[in-house]
Amino acid sequence: MPPETVVVVGASLAGGTAVATLREEGFGGRIVLIGDEPELPYQRPPLSKTYLRGDAARDTLLVRPDDWWSAHDVETRLGTRVRALDPVARTVTIADGEPIAFDRCLIATGVRNRALSVPGADLEGIVHLRTIADADRIRSAAATADRAVVVGMGFIGAEVAASLRLLGIEVTVIEVFETAMYKVLGARIGDVLASIHRDRGVTMRFNDTVARFEGPGRVERVVTRDGDTIECGMVVVGVGTEPATDAVGDLALAADGGIAVNARLETDVPGVFAAGDVASHAHPVLGRVRVEHFDNAIKMGAHAARAMLGSPDAFDDPHWFWSDQYDEHLQMGGVAVADDMVVRGSLEDRSFCAFFLDDAGVLRASVALNRPKECRRSLPLIRAGASPDRAALADPDVDLRTLGA
Amino acid sequence: MGDYVTIGRADEVVEGDAAAFEVEGNQVGVARVEGALYAFGDICTHQGCTLMPGGDLDGTELTCGCHGSMFSIQTGEVLDGPATQPIEVYPAREVDGEIQIEV
Repeated sequence: MPPETVVVVGASLAGGTAVATLREEGFGGRIVLIGDEPELPYQRPPLSKTYLRGDAARDTLLVRPDDWWSAHDVETRLGTRVRALDPVARTVTIADGEPIAFDRCLIATGVRNRALSVPGADLEGIVHLRTIADADRIRSAAATADRAVVVGMGFIGAEVAASLRLLGIEVTVIEVFETAMYKVLGARIGDVLASIHRDRGVTMRFNDTVARFEGPGRVERVVTRDGDTIECGMVVVGVGTEPATDAVGDLALAADGGIAVNARLETDVPGVFAAGDVASHAHPVLGRVRVEHFDNAIKMGAHAARAMLGSPDAFDDPHWFWSDQYDEHLQMGGVAVADDMVVRGSLEDRSFCAFFLDDAGVLRASVALNRPKECRRSLPLIRAGASPDRAALADPDVDLRTLGA
Repeated sequence: MGDYVTIGRADEVVEGDAAAFEVEGNQVGVARVEGALYAFGDICTHQGCTLMPGGDLDGTELTCGCHGSMFSIQTGEVLDGPATQPIEVYPAREVDGEIQIEV
């Protein structure tokens, strides 16, 4: 029986895309979209880049135009939290106490930023980045600051450092690992990213961390564990995230902290699905993975919508994501960066696609800098679990599409 | 019917590939696929990246090199990725070794 009411918890990219897909697929029933921010679904990638630098207007972030939601008969409950999800009564209860009954429910609550618990972490001028409001706070701090400290050099830290440099601010990054973006890219490619930032004048302090923040109400300096003091007018903290699962009741969680869903994105409660950053999905080739990236939020949101309407298909996207820093374009496919790396192109020239193979020679991931085509063409190979010839991978004259599965 | 304008030499666009041309201040991409020419607005509707060079042409499907939006260069429609608005497409022809598009 087709569902009558779909409740989507999380007015996020995944949640918003799911709603749009439901209508595009012809679903004519009731849709309730609940979000804790006061905003309609929007895209977050520009928040650390073009929006942060003032190069992109707010309305360019929207997943669908302002008037799309009412025109498509979507009930939005924004600026409110979900208090409880009852899988037996099949209701979602929001902050004002209203229970909303559902046939299908999608959890797309995303992740929240991990806090840095050190003395002074609540001083003014120390900001995280997740929402439009956060980005506005950083922009306003950057308008008066000459010097910034960025804590953490993952995606957010690296992109914010680049944007602040482009705004003319002196930037020091403090990163606990040995190089930039180490956890996702590994040391060799991380070093390439670090060299790009160094050329742009960013000071990077690796293998160090924040001991405390100091200042009279507003942050004025950062003291590191190694005992150095860095003067600054603002701090941006990007030290990782955790899945936002507090409102999901007793749904089973995976070891990675996300909501465990099967290959068609359904949780252990029939009719309740999860998608996007919060969802840990059973990938037919990659195994259980939870991916916190833009492209996945779109594809998984759309897939969950079709699954809620009865599609039996497995979600087998190979995963693909990017990071733009200065005028460099970094792109990645797959999820696990293994030790065995085959490079096409040149790390030194900052033009390469690196392929990561597991112990059995199966292509698991690719990372490209300024070589988008090769990264994209590796995706079908990753999806198929292919074991391509190493020499062919390294040869720029070989079209990856000819390597087959 | 608009007028056809010459935008470049035909040998600048090889089979299975696309190239970008400047046309009256706008950037237009032209692809040659199985002998046929396809002209399209070369700016991705997602975040304004140039589609060519940098994009990946597979048949008549063109994927933006920045963020993966995929367009049909036959119809301009979005086939995949974050873009929601189509790109422009223009009739194109080859005359005396030159590429012309209708504007």
